[in-house]
Amino acid sequence: MMRNGREHRLGWGLVAPALLWTLAFFVLPFAGMVALSFARMEGRAIVPAFDPGNYIRFATDPVMIKALTNSFEITLVVTVISILLAYPLAAIIAFRIPPRWQRLALLLAVLPFWTSYVVRSYSWLLVLGQNGVINRGLSWIGIGPLELAATRAATVIGFVHFFVMLLTLTIYANLIQLSPNYARAAADLGASRWATFRLVILPLTLPGVVTGAFLTFVLCIGDYITPQILGGNNELTLPQLIMLQLGRSGNFPLASALSVILMGVVTLAYVFSAKWVRLDRV
Amino acid sequence: MKAIAWAYLAAIYSFILLPVVVLVVFSFQDGRLPVPPFQGATVKWYAQVLADRDLLAALGNSALVAVTSSAVALVLGFLAAHGLARVRLPGSVLMRGLLIAPLTVSYLIIALGLLNMFNQIGLRPSLLATGIGHVVINLPLCFAILYAAMGDHQKSAERAARDLGAGEVQVLWLVSAPMLMAPMAAAFFLSVTFSWDEFIIAFLLTRFDVTLPVEIWSMLKSGLSPKTNAIGSLVFLVSIMVVGFLELFVFRRQK
Amino acid sequence: MSRFASASVLALCMANPSFAQELNALVWCDHADPALIQPFEEKFGVKVNLKEYEGTAAGLAILDQSRPGDWDVLVIDGVDVGRAVEGGHLAELPVDQLATADFFPEVVMAANNMVGGKTYAVTEKFGYNTIAYDKTKVDPADMADMTTLWSGKYDGRIAIYDYYLPILGLVAMEQGVATADITAETVAALKEPLFKLKAASKQVSDVVSSQTALATGEVDILIGGGEWLTAVLAADNPNLDWTIPAQGGLRWAQSIGVVAGSTQPDLALEFVKYITSPEGQAALATSSCYWGMPANTKAGEVLTPEQKAVLRWDEQTEFLARSQLYPIPDAALDTAMQDLWTAMLQE
Repeated sequence: MMRNGREHRLGWGLVAPALLWTLAFFVLPFAGMVALSFARMEGRAIVPAFDPGNYIRFATDPVMIKALTNSFEITLVVTVISILLAYPLAAIIAFRIPPRWQRLALLLAVLPFWTSYVVRSYSWLLVLGQNGVINRGLSWIGIGPLELAATRAATVIGFVHFFVMLLTLTIYANLIQLSPNYARAAADLGASRWATFRLVILPLTLPGVVTGAFLTFVLCIGDYITPQILGGNNELTLPQLIMLQLGRSGNFPLASALSVILMGVVTLAYVFSAKWVRLDRV
Repeated sequence: MKAIAWAYLAAIYSFILLPVVVLVVFSFQDGRLPVPPFQGATVKWYAQVLADRDLLAALGNSALVAVTSSAVALVLGFLAAHGLARVRLPGSVLMRGLLIAPLTVSYLIIALGLLNMFNQIGLRPSLLATGIGHVVINLPLCFAILYAAMGDHQKSAERAARDLGAGEVQVLWLVSAPMLMAPMAAAFFLSVTFSWDEFIIAFLLTRFDVTLPVEIWSMLKSGLSPKTNAIGSLVFLVSIMVVGFLELFVFRRQK
Repeated sequence: MSRFASASVLALCMANPSFAQELNALVWCDHADPALIQPFEEKFGVKVNLKEYEGTAAGLAILDQSRPGDWDVLVIDGVDVGRAVEGGHLAELPVDQLATADFFPEVVMAANNMVGGKTYAVTEKFGYNTIAYDKTKVDPADMADMTTLWSGKYDGRIAIYDYYLPILGLVAMEQGVATADITAETVAALKEPLFKLKAASKQVSDVVSSQTALATGEVDILIGGGEWLTAVLAADNPNLDWTIPAQGGLRWAQSIGVVAGSTQPDLALEFVKYITSPEGQAALATSSCYWGMPANTKAGEVLTPEQKAVLRWDEQTEFLARSQLYPIPDAALDTAMQDLWTAMLQE
């Protein structure tokens, strides 16, 4: 393709609206946040300064480091489990269910998406409780009760539930884009089903999976409601720590610094996954 | 193999639908506590919800914000994804990073940053302010999904259309968009859902005209009640209707 | 589609039509009960707009980010009135127009509601953070002594209410320290008993999770609970009860005032007067969000005997005598307490 002035003008014209929106309503406010993260609290007043104290505090306070590692561990576990559960679901819908039923199957798979997030977390609380539906069912067959509520497991279950739906949608969208000719060609060449999947389908859908995984990572590591409602406050994640600084201490500078750190972590994840996407496309 | 697939479907659908079933079942609980054992059926909680004017207004507000902000985000995201996938612009990696960047920030931070800025330029907390915030969070989503979906056969089809003399608008409207219908629909669905469900931005950027999650949050504050289940179930019902509408809409468009 | 979208945009821009007169109030959730607000709206022919918040810092942040005239009325934690005044958010109230003479004397709380000899807010509702429990699952006699919670007998069956001020106050009382005597030096001594309590408990939770946990039998004891938690569950789970142990309990109180810069201070004052009137007080005490004792004793003439029984009206003299106020920390102590609390959560 020739690179000429017209092409460039066109490209810029297409990108400009989104770019301007992002600059005005994201970059500008965020710059304000970064500036605020270097401010100082004197008593209850925020004093503008260039003071790295908030970052030093983060680096030296085990409570804060622990919040980051908690968030990281939970997010990693959730992302992996969610992909392992969602990929087969999306694949079964895309390849095993007759086309005219696929849309219905997909809608059914993301149905709870459409209840309120807050209410959904709260109903998991009722499901996982000591006398909840799961433990009642288990005791009926003579097992349990399981200690599920107010644990990290509850947080993970709540998250996985949400992200299986999200990943099923994105992975399905990618699978369905594949021409059946790829699989047919592989089969004609004598590839087994597993080999077809591993060598043809998986690599072709990897960009979509990585994008979905990245979304999962970001939304999960930045979420406040699920660990707050389901985790029983037995450990803190980074967003919970940020909310504590905001809602209770009114320590906006420290909250801003923690947010900048959170943003840093996710930027690293993006760099990592962006590499994957490009490597795969080559 | 077939049996395994069906067993897997059964298991995963049970998992996905379990909390919704529990939510709906206990919305009919004849008692103050939406927990087992089930004490008998009543619809009185629904009557209470439907008599709640604030709640119904919030429902309308949420639908308005979700659809409008998602439409804006989808259009902006589609144009940008198309521009960046098609034209090699200087600094395109940087621009991609910039467009994705809002995804990497907790909604809370976006909300606070916007609140601060809107205050300085004199835009009061309102549905409009919330809508702007929701475009910020949904634009990267639409962009990322559409950008990931723009494969090579897309490009060749577009190139073919151009070679046959199609103008840029025609290419976008008649080739790129229809080819990307599935990911576009997915992006729109996701955007509407995220906006519909988004709490913290709506909480900080609205005052009296609130969206549904904010209204539900304030009802949750009054403690455990099957009324909360009833609201959740009604939201669910409304959502299914919206999904049905979109289905019809997308379906017709594809014909 | 485009027509639909542009109609939506139009509707967005046209939101907020102006009413004849509106009163904007920044409140706690118990005020968002139509039974409380409607009589006032009808009497004065105005619309009351309510915005709820939790946590003083969050409320003050909203005020900080607003412009003068945005708000007319503020409800705030009784011990935090000084913070709001310090931020210039409250206007002086005319003392002679307030019904404080009819109040329970202990809850007038002049020391909190007045700054520099001027009155900025008036107490509207109060209650207790003590020990709530399921009386069929624990021995009520054990609950009369806070030390049982540390004894190991109820390990894993305790929930802690997630608010640092009352819980640290209760822990201090268990240690024999009055809440008013907690200082930046003595707060460090609370670390060990607090962490021990955390180890003995199953969760640290907000109102809804606490209720869920108690109602489902997840836990049997809630430290920091009281009538505000059990009253709404009383009809369905009569097994829930609360008590003030021998070491004492914490007393919470919320105040209401007129926001500085209000464009309609007279109407705002009328609202404050309505809320503190016997009728307003009775509706507020039994509001749908949570119950609590009215500050005005005359509300007793409006409340039903059943409502008064749930509120334990007749025991208030004893409760008031045995309860202490929330700790009122300065900035340094507040930071120390919150850091301790955060560390406990992460433990």
